[in-house]
Amino acid sequence: MNFKEIAKRSETGPLTESKDFLMKAVAANAMTLTKEYDVSWDGKSLINMDDDMADRCFQAGKELFVRTGVYSMNSSRVIEFSAEEVDDVLRFVRPELPMGAGKDRVCAHHREVEDPRKPFVFCGPFNANVHEEMFVRLNEVFSRERIVDCLFFPGYLNEVDGQLIRPTSALATRMAILYGQWSREAVRRAGRPDMAIAGHAVMAPGEIACTNEEWGLRSTDPRAIVLISELQVDDVSLTRLAYYLAYGCPIYMAFTPLIGGYGGNPAGTAIVAVASFIASVMLGGEIVHIGPQHMNFKQQTNQHSLFLASLANQAVARNSNIIATTSHTTSGRPGSAQYAHEFSALALASVTSGSNVSGPRPSEPLGFNNVSPLMGRLFAEVAHAAAGLSREAATPIVEALYDRYKDNMDLEKAPKGQPFEELYDLATLTPTPEHQALYDRLKEELIGLGVPLS
Amino acid sequence: MADAERIYEAMKRSIETYDSDAAVAAAEEAVAAGLDLLEAVEKGFADPIRELGESFHRMEIFLPELTMGADAMKAGVEVLERALDEKGGKIEKKAVVVIGTVEGDIHDIGKSVVATLLHANGYEVHDLGIDLPATRIIEAAESHGADVIALSALLSTTMLYQRDVVELLQNKGLREKYYVLVGGAPVTQAWADEIGADGYAHDAFDAVQVLDKAMEGRGG
Repeated sequence: MNFKEIAKRSETGPLTESKDFLMKAVAANAMTLTKEYDVSWDGKSLINMDDDMADRCFQAGKELFVRTGVYSMNSSRVIEFSAEEVDDVLRFVRPELPMGAGKDRVCAHHREVEDPRKPFVFCGPFNANVHEEMFVRLNEVFSRERIVDCLFFPGYLNEVDGQLIRPTSALATRMAILYGQWSREAVRRAGRPDMAIAGHAVMAPGEIACTNEEWGLRSTDPRAIVLISELQVDDVSLTRLAYYLAYGCPIYMAFTPLIGGYGGNPAGTAIVAVASFIASVMLGGEIVHIGPQHMNFKQQTNQHSLFLASLANQAVARNSNIIATTSHTTSGRPGSAQYAHEFSALALASVTSGSNVSGPRPSEPLGFNNVSPLMGRLFAEVAHAAAGLSREAATPIVEALYDRYKDNMDLEKAPKGQPFEELYDLATLTPTPEHQALYDRLKEELIGLGVPLS
Repeated sequence: MADAERIYEAMKRSIETYDSDAAVAAAEEAVAAGLDLLEAVEKGFADPIRELGESFHRMEIFLPELTMGADAMKAGVEVLERALDEKGGKIEKKAVVVIGTVEGDIHDIGKSVVATLLHANGYEVHDLGIDLPATRIIEAAESHGADVIALSALLSTTMLYQRDVVELLQNKGLREKYYVLVGGAPVTQAWADEIGADGYAHDAFDAVQVLDKAMEGRGG
């Protein structure tokens, strides 16, 4: 779909209020289509096993999208698409997307349900708050993990010299430039100078200032755009999109369907999620990230989110060539066993359902640098191992893991974890013996549960 | 009395079926029957909307139902308020709240849920919308005679603007006048403490509990 046409429609589409769009277009249609296509959740499954329902969910989501379009929050207009336009775009979705350059070039690909091919791994600080003096060091350690395909969201620089940064200020633009420079420096230090870096500095329009072929984020680095729940977009995102498309960057489009929100239960929200997958590619997304949100939990490993991620990913995997990836956020924090239990459960559910993986991250980091590259390695290893599993084999493992953390999903109760500087020896940039022992213990535990880790 | 119970039941059913027209009709019937209108608000609308809020928290119903239920209550209460006004009476509110999402942030849903639940629990709520500069929030608080300023931020980059509201209140000499409540995905109790906010809520239900406790303390 031509971007100019989308931008035009955001100025000329039907005028409506946001509440009416959400209630009358999204909620009312999602409710009707959930019944019409008989998409449901049995109240206990963590992974969907019903292929026919996945197909019905896709058809319902596609129909929902044709009925709703995308709402432009600034112009209060609906960007509408016809069913023919949707079919046309879906027919030409590219199932493979190269990124990075030279020896560090990698390729993300569309995956099928129970696909034996290993998922693409986006891994890094995932937008955790990172201190400027630690930014290069911890990103270097993430980039050293060879199993990580793309350094993922190298962290928020929301403070400099003790000064909090206002997102639309000149200082924010200055920090966006440093974000680009320091991210590139980190992958250079790791010996992967042309490694892909997925950028999302979240500094409003100034974010594009980190783009530079020599020292910053390049045309070979995926750049993130985030839709607003549900099926909404704003001018800042469209502005970034205009720039990234013209510059030739792979477009990493993310959306966050809200369970308990306008889609209702996990089944209805899965339909909204499919509509959002389609919206993402209609707007120009080439890799689409699903990051389910929940009315009662800030994280993504509760039973509703596990089921939603499995159903929506299966729907898209079976009925399109969209390259999907799933966000992994947890209640437990790095340095705790619960962190690994949670991201492993979701990785097993999402990878067997046809997704690639992005993460992991604690949904409520405590302070700065609350990340662990070693846990990133374990996350990637579990995701790779899951590629060899059927949904049937993965289900009891996910259930066993879920049992381990289900009573500790409340963020107050969840383990507090430790920051990078306590989990790693900063002189050698290697895990402390205690953190290494936790990794070894967790790996043994996961093997014992049936995860085929080598 | 039997008539009153029948009308209260009709009001209650209008909330449970999310029917604004039925809520207005039942409220008009309550006025015509000469019922105690304050009691009608409490028994006919407030009790069922609180139950709806609890069902929402337990995920037995979802945001569309909660929104429609709240809209029905609003339509019915407006009828009762007009009638009370004519008699020189008024519905007591726990407190007046202005609520909005701070500057640079266009996330609306979480803030709207908080507004709906506060309204359902007896607060007069003025939802100012999204992307709000600190000056506009404070102007609105002043013009609405607010007791509470509730600030939402969904991004760790925009939560900074919650601090700006507190700071601007201080600079204007208005800090003691308002209870400042903060929330949103990246917001924590530690952040609330750091910027000098009065309260922090981790979700919409918590917001009601935090404010109930705080307003009790204020005698509000």
